[in-house]
Amino acid sequence: MSQRVDPTLVLEIEKFGKGTWNECFHCGNCTAVCPLTEQGFLFPRKGYRALQMGLKDTITSSVEPWLCYYCGDCSSTCPRDANPGETMMILRRYLTSVYDWTGLSKKFYTSHFWEFFAIIFIGIITIFLLLFANTAGIITTLTADGGVMLDKMFPHDLIEKGDWTMAVIVAGLLITNIMRMWWKTVVKDKTVKVKFFSYFTEAWNLVVHFATQVKFNKCEGKNYWLWHWLLMSGYVLMFTMIVVYLPWFQTDKIYNWYEPQRILGYYATFGLMFGLVAVFIGRFKKNNEKFKFSHITDWLFIIMLILTTITGILVHIFRINGMVAATYYSYIIHLAILVPMIMIEVPFSKWSHLAYRPFAVYFAAIKKASKK
Amino acid sequence: MEKPRIGVYVCWCGTNIAKMVDVEAVADEIGRLPNVVISKNYKYMCSDPGQDLIVKDIKEHQLNRVVVSACSPRIHELTFRKALEKAGLNPYLFEMANIREQDSWVHTDRAEATKKAKSLVAAAVNRVNFHEPLDARTVDINPSTLIIGGGIAGMTAALEIANAGKTVYLVEKSKDLGGNAAKLDLTFPYLTSAQQLMKPLIKSVKSNKNIILFLGTEVKEIFGYIGNFETTVKDEGKDTKLNFGNIIVATGLRPSNAAKIANYGYGKIPDVITSLEFEEMLNKGKIAKKDGSEPKNVAIIHCVGSRNKDYHEYCSRTCCLTALKYANQLRAALPTTNIYELYADMRAMGKGCEELYAATSRQHVMFMMFDQQNDLPKIKQAKGKDYSMLIELNEKLSGEAIEVPADMVILMNGMEAHENAKEIAHAVGISMCGNSFYIEKHPKLDPVATTTNGVYIVGGCQGPKDIPDSVSQARAAAARIMGIMAKGSVTVEVTTACVNEDICCGCQTCIKVCPYTAISFNDEKKVSVVNEILCKGCGTCGSACPTGAIRSRHFTDQQIISQIEGLMSMSLSLEMQLEQQEV
Repeated sequence: MSQRVDPTLVLEIEKFGKGTWNECFHCGNCTAVCPLTEQGFLFPRKGYRALQMGLKDTITSSVEPWLCYYCGDCSSTCPRDANPGETMMILRRYLTSVYDWTGLSKKFYTSHFWEFFAIIFIGIITIFLLLFANTAGIITTLTADGGVMLDKMFPHDLIEKGDWTMAVIVAGLLITNIMRMWWKTVVKDKTVKVKFFSYFTEAWNLVVHFATQVKFNKCEGKNYWLWHWLLMSGYVLMFTMIVVYLPWFQTDKIYNWYEPQRILGYYATFGLMFGLVAVFIGRFKKNNEKFKFSHITDWLFIIMLILTTITGILVHIFRINGMVAATYYSYIIHLAILVPMIMIEVPFSKWSHLAYRPFAVYFAAIKKASKK
Repeated sequence: MEKPRIGVYVCWCGTNIAKMVDVEAVADEIGRLPNVVISKNYKYMCSDPGQDLIVKDIKEHQLNRVVVSACSPRIHELTFRKALEKAGLNPYLFEMANIREQDSWVHTDRAEATKKAKSLVAAAVNRVNFHEPLDARTVDINPSTLIIGGGIAGMTAALEIANAGKTVYLVEKSKDLGGNAAKLDLTFPYLTSAQQLMKPLIKSVKSNKNIILFLGTEVKEIFGYIGNFETTVKDEGKDTKLNFGNIIVATGLRPSNAAKIANYGYGKIPDVITSLEFEEMLNKGKIAKKDGSEPKNVAIIHCVGSRNKDYHEYCSRTCCLTALKYANQLRAALPTTNIYELYADMRAMGKGCEELYAATSRQHVMFMMFDQQNDLPKIKQAKGKDYSMLIELNEKLSGEAIEVPADMVILMNGMEAHENAKEIAHAVGISMCGNSFYIEKHPKLDPVATTTNGVYIVGGCQGPKDIPDSVSQARAAAARIMGIMAKGSVTVEVTTACVNEDICCGCQTCIKVCPYTAISFNDEKKVSVVNEILCKGCGTCGSACPTGAIRSRHFTDQQIISQIEGLMSMSLSLEMQLEQQEV
């Protein structure tokens, strides 16, 4: 079955990031230098070509863009400055919108209005919900050990309900989108007939690659794996503590420095800040191929996460030092940034790669196992 | 005949020869041969002191034959002939033995190479005994020129010569001047108007009083030779006799028949058109399908009938750039139309051409590559929104089987020689390559002359080419002709064939084999006659003549046999010497 070429697809994908796609003359240097490409999963040139020709089925059925960790070797080797690495990035954004059934992802990626409106809207709703939860008002009385009674002002059982609502919505969206990804990349891929057992035999890939991103280590850029992993582990740890273990994590007791609440909290904060500052400086200075191009969503994600982290740190400092009003307001601001960031970034935008990438590795492993 | 007194000179060519050949031994050995007066070796015979050595010896020793054993005669035969002339000897009393290309460069055994050198020089010595003095002849040049073909090349050459004050007869087959270039809208790579080039050119050709135009006229037969050609053309019904000294063939080429490629359905599918048909649309200023509406998906297929063993194997050179030009014109005229370029290889060489390719690729044009040798695209009729055809192809860069929707397909059909190329070739006495393009005298060093003196080929008749190349060739040929005219006469070949009328039996075998139509039959005497100005001295007639009546000057039977004898006797005597030593 021949596939129809579509000259308009390039114009569509261009909305997700401007490429220099006419420059490529298909020498194949990019694929040759890529440390992650392998037989059966050739990139970036093949995806690049599919993009030039508007082969939509080829693009939507490929997991290859997700297998790329964007070390940027391809772009720096490219004799035509065609930026194959950034093209993979643009394809990831496009694919995120393809997997998303709500259509919101495309709106957020392609329209500044939608992106900012959604963030502000969810932020305001969060503030209203917090004010609604805050029946006690500002409690000026301090605890026995001199801390602010934060948990009394914003009871963790109420916040937890909100957390879980948010988590369920986000997970629901993400899971359905992953199902769609599976449908498009595995079921609809006519080049391979998947063996059912490989879903089980290859499942370890999902866990290992989610937890370690060990493939990033194959990229020859020094230390990228390390800061990326610190950022990821900090994020996942913090997310788990504030959603799953909130009653344990958010208390009015001031723990000693050696107790797990504080050690884990500090580690997560350190991981987040270390990774974020590295990315921020990188993108600001454009000191590496992977940071040369920054889409608005790349910046928003970093800035919102930095703000979330900083306000989180402030809440912590204000609370243990008994600064009531400061704690109260910083907590509201903290959540007014955190909630829209999670609601928008995780299912619809850049953060979704934390799910799509390990799943892509998993699906690729399934395809590979089935081809044997 | 006076007794031959031969001088032999063995050249070292620095170390080129001396390293592999014992030049002293060669000179010694040859010095013992009969009639050899002196035999010397010298480091560089072609140098001024080397030549002076020959001149001095000729005078001192009354030499009347000279042999130089050095490099290929292609390189220095003329040098040494001039040295002989300087010393007052006829330059044809000279022979060269090639002991470099044919000996020292290709052998690794010094003793064997020296032996071979001795044999080669002995052969030359034996031959030169029988050399005869030959006299150079000159012919006067008629200052008029015949130009066949009124395209851009023919017109340019005509103007160049006419503006120098010389008469030009410009013969054009069709009723109009301009040829293929006049049918174009814009030219690549700068997208400038072809009409703006052609119209003033045509006007100045028509108004030039030195150019005598014959439109709607064909040249049938041409007689004569360089300096003195003649032909008869029909002009307004009556025969006009023309005399001229030189000929420029500028007959151009024509588009090949796109219907030959079944895959593309030209002539069967309505909106499949050729590049010239599209050019007509552009000239009219409206790009439209057969039904009059604007196309929404235009596919341009390259290499139609080119670079494929089933059609023409050569590249037509201009189609890639013309196709890129179309993409630009389409984009300008129809901003929302999808444009597809289906190419085999993009050949955008030449000044400004790669730049046009790069600029076109930024015009939202989709380029797709197919296999021109084994896997041509196939056009199928189909129904759908904004398309009436689907072009199926295996795209090489993606490795995918794809289909391209199109409602107009432009076939970039290649160029080929005119159907009457052979007749023209015969009329002017030039040869054609396998693709019916005329062959130049030397592909690199003499690209506009032919092996027939006084006949030049310019423009597309020599092979597909673009306007700048055609114009360059036209001006080059004009310059060559004016150079000859300025001299007023030209030296012609003296190593020609001649017929011994007493022996000729009148079988006319020689007339059939002569590649230069230089032999005619004298009906009165019933013998063949060689036109010594047309004759190139190739020797074909001499070897074909059953009675031995034809003698090739400077390549007589006696000369060649004695050369072979010299070669064999030296080899033999060297073997014998060797045997004696062993005993």
